[in-house]
Amino acid sequence: MNASSALGAVAPSPLARRNPTVKLAILFIVSLVLLVVFDPVTPALLYLLGLAAVLGFARLPMRTIVLAHLPFVGFALGILVVNALSRPGEVLVDLPPIRVTVEGLLVGSALALRTMAIGILSIGFIGTTDPVALMTSLHQHARLSARVTFAVLAGYRMLQQLPREWQVIRQAQSVRTPFRENGATRFGISEFGRAAFTLLVVSLRRGERMSQSLESRGLGLGARTVWRPVPLGPADWLLLAGTLGLLALVIAGVGTLGLGLGPGILF
Amino acid sequence: MSAAPSTTTPAAASARPIHRFTLKDLVLIVVLGVVFGFLYWALVQAWTGLSILLGPAGDLAQHVLLGGWLLVAPIAVAIVRTRFAGVIAEILASVIEVVFLGSAVGPMLFVAAAIQGAGSELPFALRRYSSFGWGSYALSGLLGSGFVFIFSAFRSGWFGQDLFFLRLGIQLASGVILGGLLAKVIVEALAKTGVVDNYAIGRALNA
Repeated sequence: MNASSALGAVAPSPLARRNPTVKLAILFIVSLVLLVVFDPVTPALLYLLGLAAVLGFARLPMRTIVLAHLPFVGFALGILVVNALSRPGEVLVDLPPIRVTVEGLLVGSALALRTMAIGILSIGFIGTTDPVALMTSLHQHARLSARVTFAVLAGYRMLQQLPREWQVIRQAQSVRTPFRENGATRFGISEFGRAAFTLLVVSLRRGERMSQSLESRGLGLGARTVWRPVPLGPADWLLLAGTLGLLALVIAGVGTLGLGLGPGILF
Repeated sequence: MSAAPSTTTPAAASARPIHRFTLKDLVLIVVLGVVFGFLYWALVQAWTGLSILLGPAGDLAQHVLLGGWLLVAPIAVAIVRTRFAGVIAEILASVIEVVFLGSAVGPMLFVAAAIQGAGSELPFALRRYSSFGWGSYALSGLLGSGFVFIFSAFRSGWFGQDLFFLRLGIQLASGVILGGLLAKVIVEALAKTGVVDNYAIGRALNA
């Protein structure tokens, strides 16, 4: 098990130079807007725009982008199929027990494409954002309190060590567990539960020590300066304005063409 | 970190008001979020493959395990016994999930987390964080899974599907068992190890 692949350093790229709080805000706003969009065209356009932006400005390896697609493409397919089969409406295909409806296909593809659109933007965000810079920026620019910021950063450090901790616990436990008949080590639900509980206890103990050392350094008592401040400049505001403008343009365009649909289609 | 001096907490901390977090409480909540985030991440690795194999059934099967996502809130509430502990625990866990572990669900997970955290915390809050029986935990799981169901149903277009009530039923049952009763089992096991003695739960037990 290797979580470090998800916790790696960020390669330099135009998107990586932008302010993390601004990127998170964009991701959040787009997701929020997509929440009330139930037509397939808008999310499809946003997916293509997002893909173009990630390919053009994030400089992620092609392999990373393709692999990162796997989980949400699978999820999107599931959503599409379930909606197509289980939503009442105008019947398109009727081969019992299979019944595909127009409404089902429409809503299903809209939701599947929404997952894809948010997915590609998440790839762009995660692939170009250093978590430590994000927390620092949230502290500097979004008024996140020092106590929360440093508690989360301490948690991040702990998270990086968890895979190794997990491995040690698993090895220590499997050494003492009898082998299966074929000589393999046992790892079922009860083994997972036992290792998980041990991990929890060990981590809580370490967390208490961590908070004592943070407190002994006077964290949360007064204003703090920041090591390696994260810049927030005109280019970041331009990025924010540009993306939101583009989002508005897409929605207005789809609406003008009469292709837009709201949540009303569900009911 | 391991070289930190281990001092004992002053007894004055027990007079702390119900709405004020100490740094220690915050770190504990973060640690819970980190560990559960990691365990979920490990499970999701297995889960994603399985749900792709299951195809459309995978979409339905997500409700079976939903209760597991609720665990952080009741555990945090039971240990820290401070207002908003459950909501904050869920939000921090989702931040860890999205930002640090790279979940592609995206930032709507923060909203879902806040909603389910509120649901999970409500039964304890109504009893002023003093009642931690089986009933409170079961209700916590029920409300947590119920609240988030409404949000997810809207987000994922479950309204109007033939499967609506099947989804609701599975999710509520999972919430009560995995997100409520299991939390009590874990909290009591943790209390027995003594690792949470210096938090509100330990002070309440030793009082």
